[in-house]
Amino acid sequence: MTAEIEAPVSPTTKSPVETAPLFAKRRWDRLRAAIAILATQLVILVAFLSFWQHATSGNTTFAFMFGSPSAIAGFLGQMARDGSLFRDTYVTGLETLLGFFVGNLFGTLIGLSLWYSRFVSRVVEPFIIALGSIPIIALAPIIIIWFGTGLVSKVAMSTLSVVIVALVTSYKGAVGVDPDQINLMRTLGASKFQIFRKLVVPASLTDIFAGLKLTVGFALIGAIVGEFMSSSEGLGHAIFKAGSLYIIPKVFAALVVTIALALLLTFIVGKIERLLMPWRRQI
Amino acid sequence: MIAEARTSEPPLVVEHVAKSYDLDGQIVPVIADLSLTLKAGEIISIVGPSGCGKTTLLNTLCGLLAPDSGYIRWHGREVFGQPQNVGYMLQKDLLLPWRTALGNTMLGLEIRGTAAAEAEHRSRAMLEQLGLHGFADHYPSTLSGGMRQRVALARTLVNEPDVLLLDEPFASLDFQSKLLIENDTVGLVRQGKRSLLLITHDIEEAISLADRVIVLSKRPTRIKSVYDIELGSGRTDLMEVRENPDFSHYVRSIWADLDVVRQ
Repeated sequence: MTAEIEAPVSPTTKSPVETAPLFAKRRWDRLRAAIAILATQLVILVAFLSFWQHATSGNTTFAFMFGSPSAIAGFLGQMARDGSLFRDTYVTGLETLLGFFVGNLFGTLIGLSLWYSRFVSRVVEPFIIALGSIPIIALAPIIIIWFGTGLVSKVAMSTLSVVIVALVTSYKGAVGVDPDQINLMRTLGASKFQIFRKLVVPASLTDIFAGLKLTVGFALIGAIVGEFMSSSEGLGHAIFKAGSLYIIPKVFAALVVTIALALLLTFIVGKIERLLMPWRRQI
Repeated sequence: MIAEARTSEPPLVVEHVAKSYDLDGQIVPVIADLSLTLKAGEIISIVGPSGCGKTTLLNTLCGLLAPDSGYIRWHGREVFGQPQNVGYMLQKDLLLPWRTALGNTMLGLEIRGTAAAEAEHRSRAMLEQLGLHGFADHYPSTLSGGMRQRVALARTLVNEPDVLLLDEPFASLDFQSKLLIENDTVGLVRQGKRSLLLITHDIEEAISLADRVIVLSKRPTRIKSVYDIELGSGRTDLMEVRENPDFSHYVRSIWADLDVVRQ
């Protein structure tokens, strides 16, 4: 008996005619599942809004206390007409984006570079935990004294809400790299910087992006809390002002815009993630 | 490119190496006293009972761990840190998921600063030699276990190491993939006149590939016995080797040496 050693496999050469209907069916199955999910979500939303509308119509106390979808829509229209909708969204969006960017930039840079020195990371660990446990709202009055009542103080609030989270998630990603992988790099002759750049940074991307998605919300909260404390424009200002005047549907209207802004920013981060990590798409 | 051309010294000499771990103040000796010489162009398999410190030995050899005593000489010289021209491969393929098969293969050349065009050319040629033509631009997540391990082998061989240290590199593969990749590995090692130190728990693999099989004792590890495998050094067909009557004789002797106690 002689051994039969087959040639190593080569890419499949099945004709497209054979496989095309199969793939078309799978695509259709996936599309159907996506449509079913979206439809269910819409049904839940519509049911909730109708119940809200129904419960508050004909009852002035309820309408005053809880607003109503139609009143909220009315305020949204009014805010769009007088331009405050766009102006406030722009202001809060800018504060959030700047805080998000600066906080994540510094947080990630520090978090990743802590990988470089076990000594430094162990020295600073308790300080980072201490800083991370400070409620940012408690800092707001000081921030306003330091940075004034304009854009900078909101960006500072937003940055502070983001930076520790970004630092912790990126550091976690960096130290979580498989030690065998580091050994392999070393046997290939890699310097510490090469290991950092070619292994640690790309390997941490998954955690960094998890942090980015998490911090979109934190950046927005920071900006809005900053506006609550002292401001003349922005969604937080609109919410605060409408709240003090007991115009509850207007509070909700500004909240709807805030939610839309958060969703938009999260969506953009997701897009960038898919763009930067193409290897995760091909499965 | 060819090992003998560099120096007349054997590529790897290990002299009385000992290694222990300190576990919370308790000293656990792993390697008691170990000496061996890997000659140029030679293939040595090391087998031993589970947990006998094979991996510790390998990590010590390639400078990832420092021995407590003894010497390790590469081409007659003691090396601090990682020895040059040594390829290292584990059971885990350790491919970087964000790099394609080609990108993973190029890693070592990139680290050494080889020009990108040359690195790509050599890597493509190596992938082709290992039967991965057409898969160069695939990400590891789309490749089978056997193919991933082939990419890992390409990443090791493309640097033209004169010594390869392999730690159970084929242990997680199915029998067919394993036999194929073993054949290719031996072929490329012999063809390039490289030396190979293979750590394995698979006795048949150890015998069919090697010129010499070293059997280790239980911890703390010493060399228990050494077998010169005389099945013809020109063997290229690892299935045929297994048919040789002497093959089963070696298997029985080594199995007896391993002293495996039935649970």
